[in-house]
Order: sequence, then structure tokens, then C-alpha cells
Amino acid sequence: MITLYGKAASRTSRNLWALEELGVAYKHVPADYLKGDTKTPEFLSINPAGKVPALTDGDVVMTESLAMNLYIAQTYGAGTLWPADKAAQAKCIQWTLWAATELEPPAVGRLVEFVFKKEHERDQKNVDALAERTKAPLNVLMAALTRTPYLTGTAFTIADLNVSAVAEYLVRTKFDLAPWPIVLKWVNECLGRAANQKVNQMKLAS
Amino acid sequence: MLKIYGSVMSRASRNIWAAEECKAPYDLVSLDFRKGEHKQPAYLAINPAGKMPSIVDGDVVMAESLAINMFIAQKYGKGALWPAEEKGQAKCMQWTLWAAAELEPVAYGRLREVLFKKEDERDHKLLADLAEKGKPIVGVLDAVLQSSDFICGAQFTLADLNVACVMEYMVRSNFDLSPWPKTAAWYKACAARAGNQKVQSLRAEAMKAAA
Repeated sequence: MITLYGKAASRTSRNLWALEELGVAYKHVPADYLKGDTKTPEFLSINPAGKVPALTDGDVVMTESLAMNLYIAQTYGAGTLWPADKAAQAKCIQWTLWAATELEPPAVGRLVEFVFKKEHERDQKNVDALAERTKAPLNVLMAALTRTPYLTGTAFTIADLNVSAVAEYLVRTKFDLAPWPIVLKWVNECLGRAANQKVNQMKLAS
Repeated sequence: MLKIYGSVMSRASRNIWAAEECKAPYDLVSLDFRKGEHKQPAYLAINPAGKMPSIVDGDVVMAESLAINMFIAQKYGKGALWPAEEKGQAKCMQWTLWAAAELEPVAYGRLREVLFKKEDERDHKLLADLAEKGKPIVGVLDAVLQSSDFICGAQFTLADLNVACVMEYMVRSNFDLSPWPKTAAWYKACAARAGNQKVQSLRAEAMKAAA
């Protein structure tokens, strides 16, 4: 059985979402970095870098939230989060890397400015630069979603989950997605899924 | 058959390395970005974002160099580049994302300064800041390499390939790996592999042709 480490209000939420989508049994250890839970010898034996999330599953031990979701999808989501079709599987891998390299840097930048900093500490020049950097990836996403309702075709897969979990930072920091209406509709639909709503409740409780 | 679109001078080199490692037959469709070949309709049909590299393999069409390598390893490298056990496969996924999310921003930042700028135009403060940021990141890899020659154990896998092709940017931008002797030895072993040597010779040819 999967044991997932990390409190819900962290990137662990991405993995909670994937597990909830699939309805697989898992144990959640809500390790809180603010309380030093990620620097204990026990946790460091799982992730020597002392970061959440991490998971164990039999002899599998791994970190990196988006990679963990690929693992969860491949292992437990055949035919659903992990599509049966090889071409769609390749797209799941592609969009997961795309989320990490293209979308996450500007999205995390905004999260830092809007969530971790107080209003008077905000660097407006950086906020503007990040907004500019966000446009190109949103255009790429929009083009893809114009062709098919979900990133790999007609069904929600790990590609949509991993990309929308990163796009959530844009929603949370009130980035105006109106110029990308198809992206806006898609992200609301993804984030509105029952499994993610459950994770949002877990975040509030943590 | 696997078709790799891109220039050997671009991130397509990573995919050439992986295909060579797997001894997978492939066609390299060279695109010259200086001539804007990656913005022509024929290529945009494969990758609407107009970025290199991309691959086509049967009905598989995909982009993102490190993701492409995961596909190549899974399809052509079972039991070798893609380990047979789930435990190793999970590590390959983890380190691929780690290379992209942790190492590449620092490594590419340094490469950009060194490769695209003349010595006197370089932002030396940025280079030093990125070197400082790179230290704990290299430290994470080095900790793993204390107990095994390669990331997943005794065998070279996709985890090593994907991390090493990003680490190459650190080396090319003169980041000194000597404080991490295990990592320095690991990098040397990865770079010396025949698959990477092939990439290096293709690059040398391309540079000669351009000169």
C-alpha cells in the first residue's frame, strides 16, 4: 500500500488528488515542514533532501510530486488516469515535463509574490515580468485544448491533473485567464472534480 | 521507426544519446533554428509550439526532451535504460523530474551566459549566484552517489542519462565539480559512454559544417 508523506497544504495535494481520483487505499502521513517533521531521521531516511511530498509503496521510495503522479497513474490508473493508448501515454509524460519546465516556474513565482509575501513586500516589476512569461505557456495550452477537450483527447488523464494542479497557482493568485477562455473553462472543470474538492477540504483542515 | 526532429546542437542531443544507448534505429531530421526551420508549417504540424526537439514514432508524437527520453527508454530500453523492477522505474521518473525542476533552471541559466554571450558581456554576478544555488542541488545527487556508482544502483539507467545531459551544462559553464568527487566520477563515466560519444562526434561534424 502507498504511504504518502506531506501535509495537504503543500505539493502533496497533487498526489492526494491523484490517489483520490483512483480511489486506491493509501496511508497519509501529513508531515509538516513548518513543524520540522521533514528533518527527522525517520523522514530523512525516506527523502534525504528533507522535502515533501515523498511516497513509499512496497520497495518503491520516491519524491518529486509530478513524477510520483506518473508512478501512481501507471501503477494504479491503467485505462483511466493512465490511458490505454501508447500515443496518449506519451502525451501524459510530455505534459508532465511541460508542467514542470514551462508552467511551474512562472506560476511558482506568482505564488511566492502573492501568497508568501505580504502586500508591501511584493515586487511589482517581478509580478509584471512573470505575467509576461506566463503568456507563452498559456498560448500553448490553449492551442492544445482547442484541438481536444482534454490534453490527451476526450478523457481526463494524469496530463490534465498534473498541468491543472500547477495552473491552480495562477487561479489562486488571481491571474486573469479571460484572454484564454478555453484554458479557463478547462482549469475550472479539472479543479472542480470531486477528488480535488476533497483535497481542498483536507488543505483547509491541515 | 523513431524520427527525432531537431539539431544535434539543441536538446535533441539528449534524445540521440538515448536512442544510441538503446541501439534503437532512428532517423535524425535536422532542423536549423538559425534558418527558422522549426517555425515552418511542416514542423508546426508536429509541434505547434515550434520548439525542438520532437519525435514521431508510429502514432506517437511528442515533445519535451526529457519526457521523450522516458518514452524511448520505456519502448526500446526495457531491462537496460529502463530498469526491469518498479523500484528502479520509479527512480527514473523521480530523477527525470528532478533534472527538469531542480537542476535545469540553474544549469541552463549558466549555459546561457557562457554560450550566448562573449566573455566581457557575461553577467558574472548571475553566474556566481547560480553556482551558489547549484551547490546544494549537486549535493543531493552526490549523497545518492555515495552508496552506488549510478543513481539506481550498479547500472547506468535513464535516471543517469537525463541528469547527466543537464549536468553537462554545469560542466560546459565551468562549474567545478571537484568538491563532489563521486559526482565528478559519475559524470565522467556517463559522458564517456559510447552513446554520448556519438553525440559529441555529431556535434563536432555540425560545427565543422557551419564553420
